[in-house]
Formats: sequence, structure tokens, C-alpha cells
Amino acid sequence: MKNLVRALRIEKGLAQGELAEAMGVSRQTVNSIENERYTPSLPLALALARYFGVTVEEMFDDRG
Amino acid sequence: MTGVNCGWRGSGSRWLMPAGCVLLGCVVLLAGWLGGQLVTGLIGLVVMAAFGLFIALAGRSETIRGLRGDGRDERFAQIDLRATAATGMVLIVAVIVAFLVEIARGHDGSPYTWLGALAGIAYAAAVAFLRWRG
Repeated sequence: MKNLVRALRIEKGLAQGELAEAMGVSRQTVNSIENERYTPSLPLALALARYFGVTVEEMFDDRG
Repeated sequence: MTGVNCGWRGSGSRWLMPAGCVLLGCVVLLAGWLGGQLVTGLIGLVVMAAFGLFIALAGRSETIRGLRGDGRDERFAQIDLRATAATGMVLIVAVIVAFLVEIARGHDGSPYTWLGALAGIAYAAAVAFLRWRG
């Protein structure tokens, strides 16, 4: 699913590992989300959106 | 940083899987000893212990940590679920093929008959339980 995770992470100056640590997932999971290979669970999507201060709809686009 | 913990990362011990391998190896040794096949049992123990040691001491790759149980998160849980389903499918197909071969050879199909029945019953029971649980 298309998403803004990579853009928001870079904007915040975070490495994938740092975001992964904050979310309690592996760096590979963050990488997979950014590359649209893995669609996160609802709790993880909510946590990501909350972490970056955006809504889930702003962060993820299922129409892409 | 805010730790939200959306997975199970780090929840499993890295020694659980290796310990399970050694334990299973000991069970194989015991079975071999009881059946008068001590050498086979010893080989089983050595193979299982070696695999356990490899898993315990192997690097920090995601696959190794996932197999070991100390690096699992929600994505790996999904991978684990799919891998388990694929393994189950392979086993069920193998059992069905072996059953057919045994029947074609004029045998009664044992033990593949009851293995296939067990797989079918287990699947139906799991579907019913998971549907009931919601």
C-alpha cells in the first residue's frame, strides 16, 4: 500500500532502525512497509500515524 | 522515544528453540534406545543438537532471529503463519499421494489413512474453533 512513512521518517531525521525501535518492530518491517511490500496491522498503522502526528488516511493510501 | 511495542520483538528467548532441539534429540535417543537402535538415536541427538547449536550461535539475520524466536514482530508472525500453512499443505499432499500409492500397490493404505483423517479432522476442528472464537 502506498504510504508516506519514508518521507515522514526522513523529514524527522530518523534512520529505519530508530523508527523500528520506537514502534517495537524490526528494521526489516519498516523497510517492507516503506517499499509497499507489507501492509501493517491496524495497531501499527495507528501507532505510526500517531508517532508522526498525522491521520492514518494521510499516511496510507489504498487507492494507489 | 515513544515505545509503542506493536510487535513481539524480543519477547521470545533465543535459547528456547535450541533447547527444544536438544530435548527432541534426547527423545529420539530414548526412542532409539528403547527400540534397540542406539546408533540411530545417537545420530538423531547429534543432528538435533548441532542444528540447535547452529540456531543459537548463528548471526543476527532476520531469518535466524525469527526461527530462534527472539526477533519476531507482527510481520514475522504473518510470515510464520504462511510458512506453517505451506508446510501443512506439503505434508497433506504427501500423505494423500502416499495413500494413493499404497492403495494402488494393493496395500490397506496404513498409516496414511489415519494420518490423512487426522489432518482433515484437525483442519475442520481448527476452522470451527477459530470461527467460534471470532
